[in-house]
Amino acid sequence: MAEDLDVLDKTRIAPVDSLRRADEDLRLPVVARPSTLPLEPPLVPQVGEQTHAVGLRAQRPDSRDHGLGLTRYIDDIALPGMLYARIKRAGVASARIKSIDISAAEAMPGVMAVLLGREIPTNLFGTSIVDQPLLADPIVRQAGDGVAAVAAVTEQIAQAACDAIKVEYEPLPGVYDAIEALKPESHKVHGGDTNVYAKKVIRQGDVERGFAESYRIYEDEYYTPGIEHAPMEPFTSIADWDSNGRLTVYASIGRITLARVDLSKTLHVPISRIRVIGTIVGGNFGGKNEIRHEPVLALLAKKAGRPVKGRFTRVEEFVASTIRHAFFMKYKTGVSKDGKILARQIRMILDGGAYCSFSETTLGKACILSTGPYHVPNSFIEGYVVYTNKTTAGSMRGFGAPQVCFAYESQMDDIARDLKIDPLELRMKNFFRDGSMTATGQVLHSVKVIESMQNAVKKFGWETQS
Amino acid sequence: MNVTLTVNGEIRSASVPPETTLLVFLREHLLLTGAKTGCDIGDCGACTVIVDGKAVNACLMLAAQADGRAVTTIEGLATREGLHPLQKVFEETGALQCGFCGPGVILTSKALLDENPDPTTEEIRTALAGNLCRCTGYVKMIDGIHEAAKMMQSATPALPAPEQR
Amino acid sequence: MKPFGYVAAKDSEHAVALLAEYGQGAKVLAGGTDLLADMKFTPHPPPEVVVDISRAADLKGIALTDAGLRIGALTTHSEIVHSAVVHQVAPALADAAVVIGAVQTRNLGTIGGNLMTCVPSMDSGPTLLAFEALVTIAGPSGRRTIPLSDLFVAPRKTSLAVGELLVEVIVPKANLYKPTAFQKFGLRKGQALALVNAAASFWTSEGLFSEPRIALGAVAPTVIRAPKAEAYLSGRPVSEEAMAEAGRIAATEAKPITDFRASADYRRDLVAVLVKRALAGAWDRATPNQKELAS
Repeated sequence: MAEDLDVLDKTRIAPVDSLRRADEDLRLPVVARPSTLPLEPPLVPQVGEQTHAVGLRAQRPDSRDHGLGLTRYIDDIALPGMLYARIKRAGVASARIKSIDISAAEAMPGVMAVLLGREIPTNLFGTSIVDQPLLADPIVRQAGDGVAAVAAVTEQIAQAACDAIKVEYEPLPGVYDAIEALKPESHKVHGGDTNVYAKKVIRQGDVERGFAESYRIYEDEYYTPGIEHAPMEPFTSIADWDSNGRLTVYASIGRITLARVDLSKTLHVPISRIRVIGTIVGGNFGGKNEIRHEPVLALLAKKAGRPVKGRFTRVEEFVASTIRHAFFMKYKTGVSKDGKILARQIRMILDGGAYCSFSETTLGKACILSTGPYHVPNSFIEGYVVYTNKTTAGSMRGFGAPQVCFAYESQMDDIARDLKIDPLELRMKNFFRDGSMTATGQVLHSVKVIESMQNAVKKFGWETQS
Repeated sequence: MNVTLTVNGEIRSASVPPETTLLVFLREHLLLTGAKTGCDIGDCGACTVIVDGKAVNACLMLAAQADGRAVTTIEGLATREGLHPLQKVFEETGALQCGFCGPGVILTSKALLDENPDPTTEEIRTALAGNLCRCTGYVKMIDGIHEAAKMMQSATPALPAPEQR
Repeated sequence: MKPFGYVAAKDSEHAVALLAEYGQGAKVLAGGTDLLADMKFTPHPPPEVVVDISRAADLKGIALTDAGLRIGALTTHSEIVHSAVVHQVAPALADAAVVIGAVQTRNLGTIGGNLMTCVPSMDSGPTLLAFEALVTIAGPSGRRTIPLSDLFVAPRKTSLAVGELLVEVIVPKANLYKPTAFQKFGLRKGQALALVNAAASFWTSEGLFSEPRIALGAVAPTVIRAPKAEAYLSGRPVSEEAMAEAGRIAATEAKPITDFRASADYRRDLVAVLVKRALAGAWDRATPNQKELAS
């Protein structure tokens, strides 16, 4: 049997000679490192001066190592004695944990530590509203919520141990649609009497008067779905304690200071005793801006007395990280006969998923930018983020700006079509100019949107299009 | 089980459990971490290596399947004399940003150019369909592959591939 | 991945012996692209032993034989794409092979594996069904050859008994050079599962469709033929209208499901379009000589 399981009937093993490489066989190229930007003259501009960097050709200093496969991403790092963690995911979107039986997992050879939510000193984190548990206890609010974590000598054993953990759930009602979540009778994801957890209102001028003066009024609804960042590199981190009780976390994370704060708060360890080493990030796009499982790894490492690496599978990347907010947007726009925007009323509902994450930032930016790069004398903007039992929405490139852009530019096209005005001309009429005031009352300077558009139009040949 | 294969011209062997993929074999047993774990299910191409001249997903191949075969990883492309043309042009054109997909893209492209020294843009796009990149939008990669193809056709083989030695 | 045993077969005979030895506990690994992806994240227990047939040389290769075009079960999709003989006698097979997965998976994945995985959206299936391909199966009591259509039973279920092994696919000699085309529609151009795929083939005899064959994928529990559409075409003059009507009939024969990729209605609409295009593609492939006879 044992012999059957070997590859064919082979007895070959590598001769030692072949491993003894001569110096000339060493393959690291001795060619020069990539050129970087010159240091003289200084690239930092003085007041009123153009930076000298414009027009210079620069190469990424790190691209040599990227191409050679030498860049050390987080998953390429292994510490001596390192264990591997896996997190058991709930797999149900809304439930109360009645019981968790970890005895079989703990008894498994190779399992060094098992962790439950109740063992975490402060089992909550968040960038504004602190509402997200590291391991659900006892309420599960999204299918990707972790319910227990295991550290073992191999990832395979850690996964087997997770599979052996028995969790009994009491199903709870759930809410899976942002509009549904607004209804009074909907399930309240975090209890209380509403699923709305952030709200923003911006008023400028008198929107009703603006509509009254309008030649036409357009009312439309727009929807953009949630989107996963899907960086090529999945979340991965390593937690390591030294003998003086100091914690080092190696993580593919974009905001190391925020990570230190969250580690300190959740672990009750002074921030001065926490070091976070941000490794080269294999794609972020906003999805690696906050901690994910690092405190769990730290506690597993503490229990086991050995460094612990945890890495997300691609599936976890989709269900247990954050995504871009889905937006439901209502745009009501009043225009004059010649196509000038006179008033715009906007109402947007953001699907925040199970926890807050960067929702407040996203809502703020979306509302501020929701009237577009256009002069709108009268505006009324209201935005809400609601909890649902879906994957948490957080920061993603643009923080809400792309979603509202889809809405206002779609509507601009519809208005142009209806008024029989060239869509470019309609925009040119309404673009911000020097001294324009935004919805929030900011007076703008150095406005180049008209010139930018003229250049763009020339470059892709707009005139020849229609 | 014992697995012995030629990696970048060297015979290497290790004793591994049967369920070890070629990717795990390379990364964890030979410490050749250039091939990346992106999806571990054959969709993203970050783990691409060349086995007997063909680009394959190392995550979808058992180490045992590669036993006795010749594997080229990203670590085997450059020589002491210099970078592989693809590595050179990717560096110069900024075809790599976060770089995580880079080793896979370069190896897929190498396998393409070895088979088809002067590919069309369409052929390059087809070849790269299995290498996901979230940063670049592929434009500079495709430009770079054309550029490397020209370099490789005009230049005498000043940059011998390791397995030819 | 969960731990499993591993044994490599030297050739098909050895493989059959190993399958007999391990019985229910054995899983065959050909290219591994489906098997490994499945085994990595499945909640089910792993097989007792994986029988790796990827080294069995007698299961590889493409050749013209007395029976027709013989494609060894271990032939990779890339080998089919690059095969001169395939391009000569059955180019639609290459059209179907080149849209499977991506280069990396085409270099590993095999035609036998694609058929044996038996998912309804397989890209190898429709063209081979349109060619009325045969498959040879080796087992403890020797070899038997059956029509490919008898291989497919249900999603992920073939008619092979425990201990049996698919060894080759044969496009019958009578159907070599038969004008055939394959069409696929996925959500992306690259690396996409088919929402619908379809293949069509026909001879022409004095301007009439003769022996038309239409096969559909991803619209029923297995890859299926569309007999009503075939019957409609048979003996009818070759025309675009007839091709379109055959597509509409085929759409009524499809039994698609609604899932997160597409609705059943959308898939039915796709069937009508893809069948029409496949018929037109086959007509494009007909040699001038055949067309002349037809007109």
